[in-house]
Amino acid sequence: MKMFFQKLGRMPTVLTMPAFAVLLVVFGMPIILLFLSSLNAPVFSLVNYQAFFGQPANIRVLYQTAEISAVATAICLVIGYPAAYLMVAASKRLRTTLIVLVIIPYLTSGLVRTYAWVVILGDRGLINNLLLDLGLISSPLPLIYSRIALYIGMVHIMLPLMILPLISVMMGIDRSLMAAGRSMGARPFDTFWRIFFPLSIPGVRSGCLLVFVICLGFYITPAALGGIGDAMLSTFIASQVQTSFNMARVSAAAFVLLGLAVVVLSIFGLDLSGTQGRTAQSTRNSWRSRPFDLMKRRVSELLTPLRAKRWKAQLYRAGSDSRWSNIVGTVFVVLVMFYLLLPELLVVIMSFSAGSFLEFPPPGLSLQWYRSFFGDPSWYDAAWISIKIGVVVAILSTIVGTLAAYGINRTLPRLRSFLTLVILTPITFPVIVVGIAAYLGLLKLGLLGSMTGIVLAHSIGAIGYVVVIVAATLANFDPRLEQAAKSMRAGPLQTFVRVTLPLIRPGIIGGAVFAFLSSFDEIVVTSLVGGLAIRTLPLKMWEGIRHQIDPTIAAVASLMILVPVFGLIVLYLSGLRPSPAGKRALPDVAA
Amino acid sequence: MTAYDSNALAEHDARATSHVPAQIEFRNVTKMYGTLPAVKDLTLTVRRGEFLTILGPSGSGKTTALMLLAGFVAPTHGDILIAGNSVAAVPSYRRDQGIFFQSYALFPHLTVRRNLEFPLEMRGIKAAERAQRIDRMLERVHLEDFGGRMPSQLSGGQQQRVALARALIADPPFLLLDEPLGALDRNLREQMQIEMKSLHKEFGITTICVTHDQEEALTLSDRIVVMRAGRIEQTDTPEALYDRPATQFVANFLGEANVLENPGFKVEADATPPSGAVPMIRPERIFIAATAAPRRADADQRQFVTGVVEEMIYCGPLRKYHLRVGNNVLVVREHSASGKQIFRPGDEVRLDWLRSDVRFVAA
Ligand SMILES: Nc1ncnc2c1ncn2[C@@H]1O[C@H](COP(=O)(O)OP(=O)(O)O)[C@@H](O)[C@H]1O
Ligand SMILES: [Mg+2]
Repeated sequence: MKMFFQKLGRMPTVLTMPAFAVLLVVFGMPIILLFLSSLNAPVFSLVNYQAFFGQPANIRVLYQTAEISAVATAICLVIGYPAAYLMVAASKRLRTTLIVLVIIPYLTSGLVRTYAWVVILGDRGLINNLLLDLGLISSPLPLIYSRIALYIGMVHIMLPLMILPLISVMMGIDRSLMAAGRSMGARPFDTFWRIFFPLSIPGVRSGCLLVFVICLGFYITPAALGGIGDAMLSTFIASQVQTSFNMARVSAAAFVLLGLAVVVLSIFGLDLSGTQGRTAQSTRNSWRSRPFDLMKRRVSELLTPLRAKRWKAQLYRAGSDSRWSNIVGTVFVVLVMFYLLLPELLVVIMSFSAGSFLEFPPPGLSLQWYRSFFGDPSWYDAAWISIKIGVVVAILSTIVGTLAAYGINRTLPRLRSFLTLVILTPITFPVIVVGIAAYLGLLKLGLLGSMTGIVLAHSIGAIGYVVVIVAATLANFDPRLEQAAKSMRAGPLQTFVRVTLPLIRPGIIGGAVFAFLSSFDEIVVTSLVGGLAIRTLPLKMWEGIRHQIDPTIAAVASLMILVPVFGLIVLYLSGLRPSPAGKRALPDVAA
Repeated sequence: MTAYDSNALAEHDARATSHVPAQIEFRNVTKMYGTLPAVKDLTLTVRRGEFLTILGPSGSGKTTALMLLAGFVAPTHGDILIAGNSVAAVPSYRRDQGIFFQSYALFPHLTVRRNLEFPLEMRGIKAAERAQRIDRMLERVHLEDFGGRMPSQLSGGQQQRVALARALIADPPFLLLDEPLGALDRNLREQMQIEMKSLHKEFGITTICVTHDQEEALTLSDRIVVMRAGRIEQTDTPEALYDRPATQFVANFLGEANVLENPGFKVEADATPPSGAVPMIRPERIFIAATAAPRRADADQRQFVTGVVEEMIYCGPLRKYHLRVGNNVLVVREHSASGKQIFRPGDEVRLDWLRSDVRFVAA
C-alpha cells in the first residue's frame, strides 16, 4: 500500500486516468466515430456535408443560428457592460449583494427561466391576461413564439454570463491608472474611453465569446419561445435524432455547428488589445493555441463567482459623482436586476395561486399546486430520480475530478495545458454535440436508457467543472506546504489527508455543488440518452411546458429555484468566500 | 554504501530524538535540469553541529543543493550521506530533518500549536509529551500567548519564529534553512540573526543555511561555501573568506573589492603573485590623505600612489570615496567619525596601504 502511494507521488499523471477513461469511453471515442461517419468512412467523401449544404433550408437554419446568437450576444453586451461597470463602481457591500443577485439566476435552471417567460408572454400568460382584464385588447397579442420573445428569453438567460467575466476583468483594473489619467487632464469620459475601456477589452471578448458559443447550442429556449421560423441548428439536430437516427447526417450537422463555434473562437479569440498577443510566441503557434486558451479561460471565467478572493480589490468610487448620472445609473442597475430576477419571482408568487390556472395577481393564496406536485407520483418520482442521479454524479465526478485536477496540477507544465484542454472539451463544445456523442457512446456500451448511462453522460461535463474549480483552488495552494509536511515525516497519503485536502476542501465542495447543479438541470443530453424509460424532473417539466400549461409546473419551478439558492448557502458555509482566515500564510513584512 | 535498511533507520531515529547532530556528506553530486547542471560535482562535508552557509548569487544552485539534501530532488549523479548512510533511495518523509522554508510554509488551516504538534505526531510521540514539548518550545521562542492563533494572525517575525520552532521541535539531527531572513525588514533581521545564533548554540544542531545575503552569511556561519553557477568557488570560515578570497568572484561577492587589473603602476606586495592572479585590496585597508601630509611611521611597509577624487558618498557611519588612480577607479571607505579631513571631487590625494594587505585573487 505504501509503495503504491510512493509510486503515485512520482507519477502524478496516473491520477488523471479515471477521468480520462470515462471521458474517452463516453465522449472521446464516440466523437471520433461520429466524425469519421460524417466523412462517410471508410470511403471518405464529403457527401454528408454536401447533402447538408445542398438543402437551402439547412443553410437558412445555419445562418439563422449565427444571426440569433450574434444579436443576442450584442444585446447582452449593450446591457451587460454598463451594468458590470456600475456594479464594480458600487461600494463593496452593495457590489457583493449585486453579484449574488446575478449569480442566483446564473445557477438557476435554464428550463425554469425559459418557463418563466412562457408564463409571462404566453397567449394566456401574464401580460395578455392583464391586458385582457383591463379591456385594452380583445384577443391575446402574439407575444410568444416570435423572434422578440426568443431574444428576451435568451438575453435573460445569458446576461449573467456576460456580466460575470466583465466584472472579473474590471475588478482587476488598477484604479490608480484612472486617477493618473485624470491628473494628466483627461476628462471623465476620456479616462473611461482611453484607459478603462481598452483595459476591459479582455472581459468584453471573453464575455462575448462565452455568450455567443453557448447561444449557438441553444435548444430549449428557441423551441419554447421562438416562432416556427426561428429554429436553430440544435433544435434541427435534436429533431433529426428523434425522427430518424441517420448517424452520418446528424453528425455532419453537429460538426457544422462545432465548426462554426471553433471558427468564431479562432477569429475573435485573437487578442485585439495586443498586450498578450505580441509576445515572443510565434504567430503560427498562437493561432493554434489561442482558441484553446480561450476555451479554458471561458470555463474559468464561468467560475468567476467562486473565485471570490479576487474581488477583494480596493474600493472604487465612480469617477463622476454628479447626481444626475448617479440616478440614471441606479435606475439602470435596478432595471437590469428586475429583468434578471422578476420572471422567476413571478413564477414563485403564481405557484401559490388559489386559482385554477396561472394568473397574476393570484386571486388568492393556496398550496394546491404544491399538493398536486407531491400527490402525483409521476412528479415526485421524477424529482427523486433527478436527485438520485445528481447525487451520484456529484460523488463520482468530485472524486474522479479532484484526482484529475491534482494530477494535472503536479504534472509538467506543457502536458498540463493539454490535459486540461482535453478534459474540458465536454463543457466547451455545444451541448447538442456532446449529447449525440454520449448517445453513441452509451449505445455501444449498451447503457442507453439506463440510470448508469445518464450518470455517465452527466459526469463527463461535471468532471470538467470539478477540475476547473479544484484546479483554481490548487493554484492558490503552496506546494511547499506539502514539502514541509514531508520534511516532518508525513507520508504521501498523510500529507494529502492532513494538509492538502483540508486546504482545497472549499474547491472540492464547490466542485461537488456545481456537479450536482449541472446534472440536476441537464435536459439536452438527458433527452437524447435517457430513452423513454427514465423521466428526470427537467424532462418531465419540459414535456409539461410543451403540452399544456399545468400550474403544477410553477410549483416545480419554484422548488427548482430553491436548489441553487441552497447550493449557494452550501458554498458560503464551505468557506468559498473572501475571509481573512482563508488568506495564505505569507510573510507579512509590514507587521 | 547501501540505502537505509530498517535497522539503520531505527537506529537513526533513536539518535534523532537524543540530540545527536549528524554529519552530512555530498559526494560528487550533480543535478541536471535538461542539459544544464543546476549543481555540478558538489563535494562537501558538513561537520556535526556546524553552522554552514551556502552563499551565492541567485541561480547559482543553492536551493537545488538544499532540496537534494532534503530529498525533494533526486541527484543525477553522486551520493549524499547522512550520518554515514546513503540516503539516495530514502524518500524525504522517511528522513529525519528540520526544514525552515523561505515562505515559512506554516499550515494555514492549523493553529500555531497544531503546527508545532504536526512533526511530533508524525513521529508517533504521545499526546502528553507533545503538549509538554510544545509548551517548552513556545516559551523558548517567546510565543507562549500565541499558541491558539492561526498563522495568518501573526506578524512576519512571529510567523518566522513559529516556522523555526516547528523545524526544531522534534530534535532532528540537522536543520535546513532556505533564505531564512529574506522577507524581514532590517531591524527584525538583526534581531532574528541573534536569535538564530543562540538557538543553534543551544540545540547544537548541524545547520545548513542557504542565502544570497553576505551579511547574513558572515554573521551566522561557522563556515561559508560560496557557490557560483552550480559549483563551489571556495569554502572557508567567514573571516578567512573575507580576508583571503581565492577568486575575484569571491572577493567581489563578499564585501567590496578593489581589483587592480592592469592598474598602470606596479603593485608592490609581500607575497609573490601566483601566475594568472591579480592583486586586490579591500577598501577599508586603504588610507587616504592630502598629498602634502606627513608620512606615518610604518611608511617603509607601505605603497604610496596619488589619485583624484571622483565622488564622495556619505553613508551614515561611513564615507565612501571613488578615486581615479592610473587606469582604475578605487573605492576607499573611512569612518565618518574619524575626524579626518573630508575631500571633495577634483581634490588630488595621496593613497597608501600596507604591502601585506595586498591579496592575489584568481581571475
Ligand atoms: N525545477 C527546475 N527545473 C529546471 N531548472 C531548474 C529547476 N530548479 C532550478 N533550476 C535551474 O537551476 C539553476 C539553479 O537554481 P537554484 O538552485 O534555484 O538557484 P538559487 O537557489 O541559487 O537561486 C537555475 O539556473 C534554475 O533556473
Ligand atoms: Mg533559491
